[in-house]
Amino acid sequence: MSVQDHHPHVDGSMELFLERVRPRLKCVFVRYRIPPDDADDLLQQALLAFVHQSGEVRDPGAWLAGTLRHKCLLYWRDRRRKVYDAVDDAMLEWLAQPQAPTQEDADLQRDVENLIERLPQRCRSLLQLRYKMGYEAPELARRLGYRPSSIGKVTTRCLAALTRYMIAAGLGKERQHG
Amino acid sequence: MADGHPTREQLERFLSADLPRPESRHVLRHLLAGCTACREEAAGIFTFAADDDADEALLARLSPALDAAYDRAIDGAFRAVERRRGELERERAAAATLCTELEQHPPSRQQLLVRNSARFATPALCELLLVRSHEACFQDAERALELAELAKTVVERHQLREPSGEPESMIPGLTARCWGAVGNAQRLRGDYAAAERAFVASDAVLQESVLEPLDRARVLDWKASLRKDQRQFPEALRLLDRVTAIYQRLGQRHLLGKALAQKAAVCGESGDVPEAIVLLREALQHLDLEEEPRQVLVARHNLIHYLNQSGLHREAFALLFHTRPLYLEHGGRVGLLRLRWLEGSVASGLGRTAQAEVAFREAREGYLEQGRDYEAALVSLDLAMLYAGEGRTTDVRRLAEEMLPVFGSRQIHREALAALIVFRRAAEMEEAGMELVRSVADFLNRARNNPELRFA
Repeated sequence: MSVQDHHPHVDGSMELFLERVRPRLKCVFVRYRIPPDDADDLLQQALLAFVHQSGEVRDPGAWLAGTLRHKCLLYWRDRRRKVYDAVDDAMLEWLAQPQAPTQEDADLQRDVENLIERLPQRCRSLLQLRYKMGYEAPELARRLGYRPSSIGKVTTRCLAALTRYMIAAGLGKERQHG
Repeated sequence: MADGHPTREQLERFLSADLPRPESRHVLRHLLAGCTACREEAAGIFTFAADDDADEALLARLSPALDAAYDRAIDGAFRAVERRRGELERERAAAATLCTELEQHPPSRQQLLVRNSARFATPALCELLLVRSHEACFQDAERALELAELAKTVVERHQLREPSGEPESMIPGLTARCWGAVGNAQRLRGDYAAAERAFVASDAVLQESVLEPLDRARVLDWKASLRKDQRQFPEALRLLDRVTAIYQRLGQRHLLGKALAQKAAVCGESGDVPEAIVLLREALQHLDLEEEPRQVLVARHNLIHYLNQSGLHREAFALLFHTRPLYLEHGGRVGLLRLRWLEGSVASGLGRTAQAEVAFREAREGYLEQGRDYEAALVSLDLAMLYAGEGRTTDVRRLAEEMLPVFGSRQIHREALAALIVFRRAAEMEEAGMELVRSVADFLNRARNNPELRFA
């Protein structure tokens, strides 16, 4: 089955266009492991953008596949942010236990410290201040010399690195697009 | 959880941030403890297929159930969008009527109408005004600015209303494009400070919102043009790298070709002629002659110019020969004058001075007739260089005497005129050698968009 189409324009019939691009769209979904329940919504967003911009688009098949890829990356970026937030919440909660640690808590603390030790220096400093000293974003920015407006992004990057190390590989190997 | 290990489903839901909090904590704790098998499984869940996996191979691995599920998703999305397409066609037809109505009023009244009447506040009208602004750029920068400002008012008014079925990214995209179009028109008017302010506003939208990549590319492209005119070449190239990356990802070959040609222009202006040649050759592989012949003509023209400038006169001559039909068909009056000028330059490079002199003279006269004094001054300097190279000092002096009264009475800025005066004085003393003429010509080229530049 050919998955290329070189038709320069959508020739009136969206159905014909759909049949031509269907294999390419499926490839994008498979490549980005999009759950079918979410595929409909992502494709709708891409198609809506397409009908709005169709006057400016030269190769509709390539454009649609490219835009869908972009939507898939944004989809995973949002999902991953949620995972990073969940990791961050759990860390903050575990490491901020006021009572004397149990053996299990002590093990956990050691595991977290070992993990943080493997991160690049910048992330190590930030996460140690965050988890050990309990510093919030403005204080982190001040102590580490970041602008308050950029500390959120830096923290997300460090949480991504932490999560990546935790899962050893794969998670965090996201490609930055757009 | 079997034997304390999370199931695959739990791992999948954890990595989709879709697992209830207590279970999520458990999975996290388990991964932190370093379970190799679960870490590997988790990594596999979140790793995309490698880029070098062919599409056919991906499809072959697709299970029938997943294949059918994707088919349903694709069909559902197309059905939903077909409905929206019909609505959009009606909105666009209405926008054309509104635009005609607006055009019957003076610009100040147009702003007033758009601000005070809700029926003008439609994304389709904003889009149409942006198209008109873009078209006006080439003829009338003031009108382009008015239209871009009007489009901006339309989208600002629309933002105050309830969303009406447009994609989430559309309004931020239009807002960024409006600011970008204002910035571009201000650049063309020569008001770089106002252009800068507009691009600060568009940058804020680009940073804060999710935009369609095509909208982002267009705004970055305009901003790169401003940076080029401001002679901030590294920044212009950095922006154009982002633009080309977007067009490459979207498979928009013609737009990619345009962006590469724009990059070549930046390199050429910054003095990196070899890189400009490489980029123009690449651009010409992507540009679509049928789609935009003028764009192909401009890219070829610049390539011939740079080849000639680099001493590759024979290659420049051959390409010029093959490009001549394109000039005749799509160049227009100005394009033909550029052709004549270029013919003179290439002939001069090949040592055919008599041919070059005739071509330069014709081009010069043509530019003067058209009131294009700046170009006429530059051709005159090419002619002066030709004379100086042959030791024809009397001809150089005569040319300098002819030039100054003409350019002194027209729209050439003060510093450019000062450079021409230096040239005439040197010519009067028969000291206008090739080096001096070249440095005056080089200055005029650089000072064209920068009246603040001083001739030293």
